[in-house]
Amino acid sequence: MLEARNLSKSYNGTAALQGLNLLVKPGDIFCLLGANGAGKTTTINLFLNFIEPSGGEAVIGEYRVTDAPLETKKLLAYIPENLMLYPNLTGIENLDYFSSLAGKKYNQQELGKFLAEAGLQEDAHAKRINTYSKGMRQKVGIAISLAKQAKVLLLDEPTSGLDPKASNEFAALLKKLSQQGVATLMATHDLFRAKETGTHIGIMKEGKLVETLTTEQINHADLEKLYLQHMN
Amino acid sequence: MVLKIASKEMKEVLRDGRFRVLSALCLVLLLVAVFSGKRYYEHVNAQHRDAAEKERLNWVSQDAKNPHSAAHYGTHAFKPKYPMSLIDQGVDKYTGVSIYLEAHVRNEAQFMAAQDQTALSRFGDLTPDFILLFLLPLLIILVGFNAITREKENGTLRLLQSMGISPLNLALGKWLGIFIPVAALLAFIFLLAAWLLNNLSDFGTFSLSALLILFSVYLLYYAVFSNLVLIVSAWAKKSSIAFVILLSAWIVACLGMPKLTTNLANTLYPYPTQQEFMEAVNEDKKKGLDGHDPWNDAAKKLEQEVLAEHGVDSVHKLPFNFDGYLMQKGEEHEAEIFFKHYEHLKEIYEKQSSLYKNAAILSPFLPARFLSMALCRTDYHSHWHFSDEAEKYRLHMMNALNMDFADNSTYGDWSYKSNPELWAKIEPFDYNPPTYASVLAFNAGNFTVLIFWFLISGVVLVYRCKKLKV
Repeated sequence: MLEARNLSKSYNGTAALQGLNLLVKPGDIFCLLGANGAGKTTTINLFLNFIEPSGGEAVIGEYRVTDAPLETKKLLAYIPENLMLYPNLTGIENLDYFSSLAGKKYNQQELGKFLAEAGLQEDAHAKRINTYSKGMRQKVGIAISLAKQAKVLLLDEPTSGLDPKASNEFAALLKKLSQQGVATLMATHDLFRAKETGTHIGIMKEGKLVETLTTEQINHADLEKLYLQHMN
Repeated sequence: MVLKIASKEMKEVLRDGRFRVLSALCLVLLLVAVFSGKRYYEHVNAQHRDAAEKERLNWVSQDAKNPHSAAHYGTHAFKPKYPMSLIDQGVDKYTGVSIYLEAHVRNEAQFMAAQDQTALSRFGDLTPDFILLFLLPLLIILVGFNAITREKENGTLRLLQSMGISPLNLALGKWLGIFIPVAALLAFIFLLAAWLLNNLSDFGTFSLSALLILFSVYLLYYAVFSNLVLIVSAWAKKSSIAFVILLSAWIVACLGMPKLTTNLANTLYPYPTQQEFMEAVNEDKKKGLDGHDPWNDAAKKLEQEVLAEHGVDSVHKLPFNFDGYLMQKGEEHEAEIFFKHYEHLKEIYEKQSSLYKNAAILSPFLPARFLSMALCRTDYHSHWHFSDEAEKYRLHMMNALNMDFADNSTYGDWSYKSNPELWAKIEPFDYNPPTYASVLAFNAGNFTVLIFWFLISGVVLVYRCKKLKV
């Protein structure tokens, strides 16, 4: 569903990403770990076609993102570290707006259902976003990807700064989506959450993917050891 | 999808409160301006009707007198006030409302509204054209300056960019979100104006199609501003920067360029002063025929020619009164001199006009300003037309009076008095303004420039939005 083939990106000769190869199949949750500046966000931005690759290609579905940016974006949903929505519109209005941008039409009831499915309490639906906490906004983000019927989720540290309960709820939602066949690529610093939620883990260092493993292969303590080994 | 974007933009704009306060303010100002404009129009129109009737009565109720005395007595031509002047007063305030028609002289229009006001009138009147031409573009800027920068600042642009919508749809949606509220405000005012004009007891030359054309001129003008606002908002990184740039652009386009062009026009193509003008006219008059002076050279020459033509040796033997004939020839000669000098003024006017048309490349305000005045018949060109028609009527009147004198009396008979019926035989001045077709043809350049502005800014906007990478 999501594939990087020898994907590279450099800024003025400095490599931000070198020869990345990875494959995320439907139902997979691929967690990218690594220090700040290791190339995680660069990878996600390349899949979003926000930046042009210096080499290789990023593929979503059957398209290279550089060839068909609009088509590939139709397949994906993106939740950044801090999902920003329109502060003067309510949760349900934001969802309505973004889902209609994705070409979907829903009535108020259906929209409310998506928000509820994403775990947003009912009484918040009609409140304006400027009254929302970060966790609530991330839930609207999930609701948008539900409404968009995205096949691919690109998440850039979506749970950083969330309280443990909100983080837990978010992870549960991701699992639910992966059971529905959504391919997820998530950049994160949260080793515990990566082990709990993810199906695959990749460790990045200085623009290179230095380790790839499935979460079944490793326990939490070993993962942390492995991670620190690479960082030092 | 475009409509969804537009409606979301409008929803945000309405909830923001800025638009609510400002548009309410503009609306109140417009309502006050339109209603006071209507009262002013009715007031002036009643005065005009009254004055024209009285003046005609003065003319036809003259006693039996020498026709040339009647020519010196003269009459007045009154410039009509047009219904659409309630939207745009143009230069009406400074052009005068009536022209005194008398023998030998082409007079300037007199009684300007500005003369009756104190020096404080320099601050300007509250008229709809001021609000439509100056304030609504400002409203567009205030509503739209952060249309795209706000998405950048809030971080919503990234989410928008991940949605897979085409930049053109986004631009069009944003554009409509800015344009529709202002267009709705404009439509409301024009509907109100149409309703008021239709209900006027004497709505004279009001034409609905002219109002519609004026409406589309303003729509086009606002479309240009909406384009510019979005271009800057797409380009700038911060709302504050976009706002400063747009405000500067507004100052240049709406305040700076018009005044600068006026200064430039007056420096490059100055009009003669009233004194210089009259001196030049008098200089030319001295060289030529004077109807009151049968001893000057030109009169002597004319006498020889006329005598030769009729094969007689004395003016007494001519079949008409040579005095009257001479008077008419003198009048025609003076008219020619006036025509020549007025043509010179018109040339200056044309040169100044073309300077304004060129300056319109730097300011969409200028073509909109000129089109608006022209369609409301309150521009300088309309005034020229009236002045020319009044002069034609004056010559026609002088001809009728002088020829009556020439045909019905004998040479030297200055005691001849014509029948008072003659006064009524000269039909009253019936002025017809130029047709809208000719107004439009004359202003084709302004239309072209305004459309050009719209197209060029539209292309730049599309180009700019494609760079947004949505």
